[in-house]
Amino acid sequence: MDVVLPAALREYAKGAGTVQGKGRTLAAVLADLEARFPGLRQRVLEDTGAIRQYVTVFVNGDQVTDGDPARVRLKDGDTVHVLPSVAGG
Amino acid sequence: MTTIPKGSTVVLVGTRKGLYVFHSRDRRRWRLAGRFFDGLPVHHAAYAPDEGTAYAAVNSTHWGATVQRSRGLTKWVRGKAGPTYPKGSGWSVAKVWNVRASPAEPGVLYAGVEPAGLFRSEDNGDSWDLVRALTKHPTRPKWSPGNGGLCLHTILPDPANKKRMIAGISAVGVFATEDGGETWRTMNRGMRADWFPNEKPEIGYCPHKLARDPEDPTVVYQQHHGGVFRWDEGKDRWVEISRGLPSRFGFGLAAGAEGGHAYVVPLKADTDRTTLGEMAVYRTRDSGRRWQRLTNGLPKPAHLTILREGVATDGEDPLGVYVATENGQLFHSRDGGDHWGAIAEHLPLAMSVTASPFP
Repeated sequence: MDVVLPAALREYAKGAGTVQGKGRTLAAVLADLEARFPGLRQRVLEDTGAIRQYVTVFVNGDQVTDGDPARVRLKDGDTVHVLPSVAGG
Repeated sequence: MTTIPKGSTVVLVGTRKGLYVFHSRDRRRWRLAGRFFDGLPVHHAAYAPDEGTAYAAVNSTHWGATVQRSRGLTKWVRGKAGPTYPKGSGWSVAKVWNVRASPAEPGVLYAGVEPAGLFRSEDNGDSWDLVRALTKHPTRPKWSPGNGGLCLHTILPDPANKKRMIAGISAVGVFATEDGGETWRTMNRGMRADWFPNEKPEIGYCPHKLARDPEDPTVVYQQHHGGVFRWDEGKDRWVEISRGLPSRFGFGLAAGAEGGHAYVVPLKADTDRTTLGEMAVYRTRDSGRRWQRLTNGLPKPAHLTILREGVATDGEDPLGVYVATENGQLFHSRDGGDHWGAIAEHLPLAMSVTASPFP
């Protein structure tokens, strides 16, 4: 599946804006990406494993509301967007 | 980016919106070598001349904390992994507040983080291990944050003995190890905590900044929430040395180049964290028995705020002293504080300044 990265994280993927990920959950996809792009998962997840407070994930255009990436189910052909939350005034 | 000539002095200013690196051959004319980590908070950055490497604590609100390093100060490299708490701990590193190269162990770095913890790297910041004994200290359940957060903000390795180290945590207190981090004891005897019903608790103090004496590492100076103190190891207690200062309150503190020399910038009070109507640096040359007010070339009136990493010295002779403010000024003196000028006046909010030779 396609995982679309924000500009701030593209340095982890050698400049790529979209990378291919494999897995049945968001946690699995991030683990897959981490194997190829070390440090990327740490930018998306807290040390506890939850999605960071100011990171928003969309799957096929729908915002993920569960902070636990292990509970976010994915399938082949999905498109995952990782975005910085609008954290301003 | 400008290449920095050897033989320069470098000044690293960590701001809320990036890192600024200045350099000078004569400390009269300063040049900006570059701005790095645009838009990101840099809580601390320092060049370690012995290692020939600089380290920076870069903290993204969105993407978390990283430790970056640079050899020439023109290009920075992110460590492969930042400090990370073990998953089962329930904690997550929100910010790195301080990065310190161990003077006795090449390639070894320490990072102080929020929520308070100490991490050690043996590969220049590519991987990190939690110093578990500190966060397993029996007092840990009672650790509470200060206004800046529950942060481990000061790391003082003993240059003469790699097993000995001091760590400062707000608003908890000072901890010391003498066995390389295997065990830690509190080091708060003699400290004031007059906001508690019990004024002498084991923890609950608020060290703002600590610095070792440049000649005797067993002597430590502390700008605390409630005063300036000196630790003399033989006495095993803090002795208040605030007398002669216009206020007990302040954040920044730096050691001078000779024994007994230190600098602070008093602020009015914890209810009004600004300079007392003028920008004034205070210097002691006798371990805090007397303080000298230094204002020549500094602005007045001035109601400025200097944060905990906002005072630095460069180790050169004569000594350079640097003060960075929340208003984005970078003041400096190249004669130990007798005369002052400004290197920059319109930086973003400055959180840290460090200075050193660039050999």
